[in-house]
Amino acid sequence: MAGTIAPDRILHEMADLWVTLGKEGEGEAGVLRACTMTLVVAAEESDDPQGIGETLAALMPVHPSRAIVIRFRAADQRALAARVFAQCWMPFGQRQQICCEQIEITASDASLADLAAVLLPLKVPDLPVFLWCRSPRVFQLQAFPQLAAMAQKVVVDSDTFPDPSAAVRQLKQLVVGGGALADLAWTRLTRWRELIAQIFENRVHLCDLPQVSDISISYRSPVAPASALYLAAWLREGLTRIGAHARVHFGSDSGEPAGRLSLVELRRAGSQEPVARITLAEGPAAEVRSGGLTNTALLPALNDCALMREELSIPGRDAAFESALAGAAGLEVS
Amino acid sequence: MPLENPFQDPLRFQRRVPECALVIFGANGDLTKRKLLPALYRLAYERRLHAGCAVLGISRTPLSDDQFRDKMHSAVKQFLEDSPFDLDVWNAFAQGIFYMAGNFDDAAMYPALDARLKEIEAARHTGGNVLFYLSAQPSQYIPIGQGLAAANVGKRDNGWRRIVVEKPFGHNLESAQELSDELHGAFRESEVYRIDHYLGKETVQNILAFRFGNGIFEPLWNRRYVNHVQITAAESIGVEGRGSYYQEAGALRDMIQNHLSQVMATIAMEPSATFRPNSVRDERSKLLRSIRVMKPDEVLQNTVSGQYGPARIGGEDVPGFRQEPGVEPGAQTDTYAAVTFFVDNWRWAGVPFYLRSGKRLPKRVTEIAIQFNAAPLAIFDGDGTASAPNLLILRIQPEEGISLKFLSKRPGTGMTLRGVSMDFNYGSSFGERSPSAYETLLLDAIIGDATLYTRQDMVEASWKVVDAIQNVWQNTKFDFPNYAAGSWGPKAADDMLARRGHVWRQP
Repeated sequence: MAGTIAPDRILHEMADLWVTLGKEGEGEAGVLRACTMTLVVAAEESDDPQGIGETLAALMPVHPSRAIVIRFRAADQRALAARVFAQCWMPFGQRQQICCEQIEITASDASLADLAAVLLPLKVPDLPVFLWCRSPRVFQLQAFPQLAAMAQKVVVDSDTFPDPSAAVRQLKQLVVGGGALADLAWTRLTRWRELIAQIFENRVHLCDLPQVSDISISYRSPVAPASALYLAAWLREGLTRIGAHARVHFGSDSGEPAGRLSLVELRRAGSQEPVARITLAEGPAAEVRSGGLTNTALLPALNDCALMREELSIPGRDAAFESALAGAAGLEVS
Repeated sequence: MPLENPFQDPLRFQRRVPECALVIFGANGDLTKRKLLPALYRLAYERRLHAGCAVLGISRTPLSDDQFRDKMHSAVKQFLEDSPFDLDVWNAFAQGIFYMAGNFDDAAMYPALDARLKEIEAARHTGGNVLFYLSAQPSQYIPIGQGLAAANVGKRDNGWRRIVVEKPFGHNLESAQELSDELHGAFRESEVYRIDHYLGKETVQNILAFRFGNGIFEPLWNRRYVNHVQITAAESIGVEGRGSYYQEAGALRDMIQNHLSQVMATIAMEPSATFRPNSVRDERSKLLRSIRVMKPDEVLQNTVSGQYGPARIGGEDVPGFRQEPGVEPGAQTDTYAAVTFFVDNWRWAGVPFYLRSGKRLPKRVTEIAIQFNAAPLAIFDGDGTASAPNLLILRIQPEEGISLKFLSKRPGTGMTLRGVSMDFNYGSSFGERSPSAYETLLLDAIIGDATLYTRQDMVEASWKVVDAIQNVWQNTKFDFPNYAAGSWGPKAADDMLARRGHVWRQP
């Protein structure tokens, strides 16, 4: 691995790349360059390169970006290397390829502090910078805040952290630091939360809400994932806002796929019929019960691409998440 | 009781949809099968509909609830475009589908409908909200309106009542007013949603975003910079078995009076002060009322009526309109209509708006082309391409997007100019499935957002303009057919533009 990389050389290589792509497309409709942001991906060197590549390729048509993938290796020696290539796709039924740039940088942990100076000239002017940190280890590195400071938004996935409760507390500190933060563990909840919110759009069901005394949340893992903590905090906060104070009960079950939420239920004291209940059934289907009516909705497990699609659509801060994060950090899980 | 749902998250959740029952008059018809039920299913699949949402189909044919569900099951599977079908979601959705047989002319049907709605409300918790949808024959709109009014089904103390009306909104100004008066017997104007599915298309909505979300175009959007505007809605197919219906309608009434007038209004309207439904519709309405109504002696100079004749396309014999089933051999129906409109306001005075629509044209395309004035002085020598005007193309279908054509220096030592295109493609830039127009518009009606629906004053304004043309055409014997299937329409349409030094774009 070379010791340093020159941003100017990378920019020059990118300019050459576009000339080459343009020549390849000559006589046809040419290529179309698209870019709406700079997406920096911080990953372990051992992180599945093909998986990251496929995720970025799938993200590009929705969020065309200059992607900068930094692959970290645990090493004390300062070392950096880079290469440049393009991600192109041909939209269905059309004649013109659309291309985005991708830069891949390999770096040792020790060179993390040098990276901000490399990335600064590489980010696309006037467009937002997102930093997606896929590695809990890199997130813990001392120099990580320097990298995070150049992004408008940092995205992590606390469900991949060894101790979700500790991760949530640590994330809360990062929010206190001031940057926009997203957690894919929260993003996984959007469809669950939306279903719950939809139930209470009905005035009849909304009337039942102040009587809710108990919240039950089950998950398919031995310890409560961060998603379960966020959901509990979000529900409790919503209920508090209308004057209801509910106890939270967490439960673990052994179903598949592992790690997912399997049930959320709102119940009032002394009643057999839940005010609202969503139970994950087989496959992606979930049973939604409220006011004696049962419905089916699809809650498929979302991959990184689907989760990132949603997060990249929100460049600013997410007040609901920050509030749930604060609540989750204070939750006691017995 | 809490006043607000504490779980709403507008940053991430789609729009809030209230519970309701949707009553479809003409539930056995093509529109229900091809568009409405697939759109409703798709909304259910996307978790956009409330769990208690109910659909009550009404038609003459006696069917049980289960028989109707089976029919709709097949229809949804057949007509669900670019979407997966999930049996579990369908089964849950189908629990809320009901049917009642009834004759729309029969006054006794409406109290029975009211009773059925009360049952559904109790079982599905629809909160008394009802959206009526007129998907029946246009001749039955008035009896339905009268029936709903007589039985007082359109007005209730709890919940809201709205009615969606499919075009045609009358066949002239007088009949449009009559229809409106009858509907107002049961519904206030704010409860009447006249649907124009063109306005539900993402790209038509994007015109508003493009014009009023960006600062750079608005200064150019006026008579000083715009030379003329062309709005084209071309279909490559013929009347496809709807000859007898189309014979009575024609391109002018079927397309220009509603869809293209609305698109023109969206292109040319003044910015609205807010994005509230009535604010946007007020501006659209003002624009439509500003279209100059032609005097009888101006009509034939500024309009062209056409009808396709037989041709051979791609090795296949294609019949002319008069050879289509159900069409009279001497029919004077316009399968092609082109008009030149002028807008009498300060922004657009003197700028021609050319609108054309036709069947059996070379390709299916809908687009708006805004041609800007050429540079005031041609300083570059060349073959004439150096003075090509700038064009802004808004493509509505297919390949939805926006292109800006401008001149650029051709690489080399000389100063030669070449036209180039800067393209924004809706599909490739956002890469997401756009909801169908019916999904958008049905959801809007359930939510109570009438921005994309047509108001009666808009209908009347466009009928005034079209009636003036129609009155002359009805008294003119056209020498039809005057264009071959597969061509871009009659030569007279080219002549109409040539008189002002313009040429139709060939999309």
